Amino acid sequence: MFSFNALLAVCLGYVVMLFGIAFWAERRANAGQLGWLRSPFVYTLSISVYCTAWTFYGAVGSAARNGLEFITIYLGPTLVFIGWWWLLRKLLRVGRAQRITSIADLISSRYGKSNALAVLVTLLAVIGSTPYIALQLQSITLSFSVFTEGTENANLTAFWVAAGLAVFTILFGTRNVDANERHHGVVTAIAIEAIVKLVALLSVGIFVVWGFAGGIPEIFAKAGDTMLHTEKIFTSRWITLTFLSAAAIISLPRMFQVTVVENADEKHLATASWAFPAYLLLMSLFVLPIAIAGNSLLPEGSNPDLYVLTVPLHEGKDTLALFAFLGGFSSATSMVIIAAIALSTMVSNHIITPLWLSINRSRKVTSGDIRNVLLTSRRLSIAGILLLGYFYFRLTGGTAALASIGLIAFAGTAQVMPCLLGGLFWRGATRSGALAGLGAGFIIWAYTLLLPSFEGAFILSSSAIENGPFGIAALRPYALFGLSNYDPLVHSMFWAMTINVFLFISVSLLSTPRPLERIQSSQFVDVFRLNQDTGSFLVSRSATSEDLYTLAQRILGTEPAHRLFSDMASSQGKSSGLPDPTDDFIQKLERELAGSIGAASAHAMVSQIAGGGTVSVDELMKIADETAQIVEYSQQLENQSRRLEDTAEQLRQANTQLTELGAQKDAFLSQVSHELRTPMTSIRSFSEILRETEDVGSEKAQQFLGIIQEESQRLTRLLDEILDLSHLESGRGNLQIERVMLAHVIEKSLNSTSLLIEEAGVKVTLNLPDDPLCVMASFDRLSQVFINLITNAVKYGLSDQPEITITARAVGKMAIIGVIDNGPGIPPKDFEKVFEKFARLSAATLAGSAGLGLSISREIMRNLKGDLVVEPNSPGAVFRVTIPLCTET
Amino acid sequence: MTEGERTPDLARRAYRRKKIRDAALLLPLLGAFLLASPIIMVFANDGKIFGLPLPFVYIFGVWLGLVLAARYMARLLTED
Repeated sequence: MFSFNALLAVCLGYVVMLFGIAFWAERRANAGQLGWLRSPFVYTLSISVYCTAWTFYGAVGSAARNGLEFITIYLGPTLVFIGWWWLLRKLLRVGRAQRITSIADLISSRYGKSNALAVLVTLLAVIGSTPYIALQLQSITLSFSVFTEGTENANLTAFWVAAGLAVFTILFGTRNVDANERHHGVVTAIAIEAIVKLVALLSVGIFVVWGFAGGIPEIFAKAGDTMLHTEKIFTSRWITLTFLSAAAIISLPRMFQVTVVENADEKHLATASWAFPAYLLLMSLFVLPIAIAGNSLLPEGSNPDLYVLTVPLHEGKDTLALFAFLGGFSSATSMVIIAAIALSTMVSNHIITPLWLSINRSRKVTSGDIRNVLLTSRRLSIAGILLLGYFYFRLTGGTAALASIGLIAFAGTAQVMPCLLGGLFWRGATRSGALAGLGAGFIIWAYTLLLPSFEGAFILSSSAIENGPFGIAALRPYALFGLSNYDPLVHSMFWAMTINVFLFISVSLLSTPRPLERIQSSQFVDVFRLNQDTGSFLVSRSATSEDLYTLAQRILGTEPAHRLFSDMASSQGKSSGLPDPTDDFIQKLERELAGSIGAASAHAMVSQIAGGGTVSVDELMKIADETAQIVEYSQQLENQSRRLEDTAEQLRQANTQLTELGAQKDAFLSQVSHELRTPMTSIRSFSEILRETEDVGSEKAQQFLGIIQEESQRLTRLLDEILDLSHLESGRGNLQIERVMLAHVIEKSLNSTSLLIEEAGVKVTLNLPDDPLCVMASFDRLSQVFINLITNAVKYGLSDQPEITITARAVGKMAIIGVIDNGPGIPPKDFEKVFEKFARLSAATLAGSAGLGLSISREIMRNLKGDLVVEPNSPGAVFRVTIPLCTET
Repeated sequence: MTEGERTPDLARRAYRRKKIRDAALLLPLLGAFLLASPIIMVFANDGKIFGLPLPFVYIFGVWLGLVLAARYMARLLTED
């Protein structure tokens, strides 16, 4: 056993060490060398301030009395932390964006910076925390008494502990006014204490299992059959405790302080999300074995809340017991320090400072004044809170079991949960609703749980607790409206929470929020749309870069969207992944999209995603899809109309051609009728003469009949020619193409025209190559062409000494034949005209030609895959015929 | 990597991240289902596993599983 003084020396030494660590950490922080002080593990360890002396000693006590039920106190926080993405992350972001200093500040900020709410939450926190602080003082004095066997004055010990903690808290907790300046010294000291208490409890546990029992199955073998209390698993109390502990990890002032206010980096939360549950797991792993050992070792009536100390002492392990004592001391002191900081911030910010400002309204306030007031009020608050805890400890004198005090505090602070969660996720929550719900929950909690816990010593008398105030049975605190047979905690939570939630929702629905409340509600609910730097709305909670990317992809197409986003990411200095949705980026994206869907639509879409519209992202995607379809459709339409325009142009051209052709046809028809009329007229005249004149001599009649026959022949020839031309033009000439010797054709043509030639006295010269030329042609048709050309040359090649030269040579795969005369020639402007139908270049025509000869000849040559052109000669004209030579095969 | 290979990757990653977030929401629900729903009654008896009480093994086993799953999820969620 240790003497009181030795124990005091150990405690003082430990406290001096903590002072040293806190001081060193503060200095490093001031020098800007934070290093591992900012590591996520320090953050996680500081959260373990959740494990107070109540956990350290009380969990074993609870396990000894109720078996596994103690685990619920850890399950709630575990569930909240593994679900950090849901709630804690948002809480942290709001805390940072709004520069929140405490849970009271959070609630009041959310509901239009309402001071009434802040005061209410502060009162609730102080009333809930005071017994809790008293509990820590009690556990320290109790643990002292275990070692000194009650030789010292418990009250005095508690007082000095409270005073020492006040000094530490004031020294390291009120260095800065700005609560957003983190308390590095305190947090580091708390982290060290977290390690001490964990290692202490693990050491006792390991000793109990392997040192005392000799193995894991052995320690459980020592447990009585009822030790685990399996009947208490999953009762209404089990659920209530899990819910309460889950609520407590958020709403307890000290938990809010370390989790939200002291958080340096949101990423630390990701580590804490699994590391803190792991810490809790380790803290509770040996609770049951220690309880079993205590129950089996220690005499009936020993306090199970002190098994952590009494078991090692009973086994003579004094040093281990001392270490365990330090663990309990750590648990208690860390809780009191953080709770004092959190509560003092609330009390000074929401109660003292507003009061001071209203009292000194007439005075001119300078900034230095406020700073001094804040610091002083905070220091006084810390002292006041610890004093309050001390008085509570003196009043109750350590009557109630540790665990029940802790649970009462949990149930009280859990009353802020409806308006906290509602404030974070429900835009419609109003200040009136929060006040009504919180107020009602607070009153019901106080009436059904807090006041009866004093067992008649405070406000409610014992008889009022037993029979209801003024004997009204329906108002019995532990059986409100006759709802008895329930655990007091479950009973109280049922009434308080139900009425709290009901009033919060219904009053919120019935009341209208003030403008400031509306602004704050969207700042809270849509906190993930806030730009972290500027505080202006930018990017929505879920609609981050991914959503913008999907939108861009649908409008711009995969490839360009990818390029755009990659470029922006690299310009933001990111090697991979999506760019941050900064102002610049969103503007650029908007401009890019404007190119596709128009500026107004692009702005509407991007600001719907980036801003705070009520249209969901899914709906936007639908709009984007529709737009994409419309764009595609309009492109198709454009293509089709372009195609239609092309067709129309072609039709116009065809129409022009047709009109021209029609005009040619008309001209042709009138020419044909004119040409036909001439012979018809003479045939009709002569036949009329023959019929009407009776005394026509037979000689005369013969002459007339001769003319009629001649004209009929000419008519027939003309019709034949027209038919022929029409066949040739339509490509239905059906020419028999064969190998033809050119010389034979020319010879035959000259024979046919020899009479004409002789009559005109034309000299014909043949200039043919020695090798006979073979061409691919129809013999008769080719002869027809040459006869026509020779006839023309004879007819029009008028000169004193008419001469016709026929030349032929092979050029490449073609034979070129020229029919040359030495007549007056053809002016170049008429080169094409000579091939027109019924074209006569001058009046000098001879009878027998209808003027279709050259047209037919050219058509024949073209049908034979050759051609017929006219070229100038001096003097005269050259008709040049080209025709394919025979192929060798 | 060519441009063509990288393009769908970005879209797939966006989709994947969405799924991870959904899973992150599921984890606490799973935990609540295993530890604070009637399912726990299945194990709330006096059975033993390796000399250890069944409910003790069940609760701590689930707890450890949740810690490991949360660790895995935390890593996925903070990838970028």
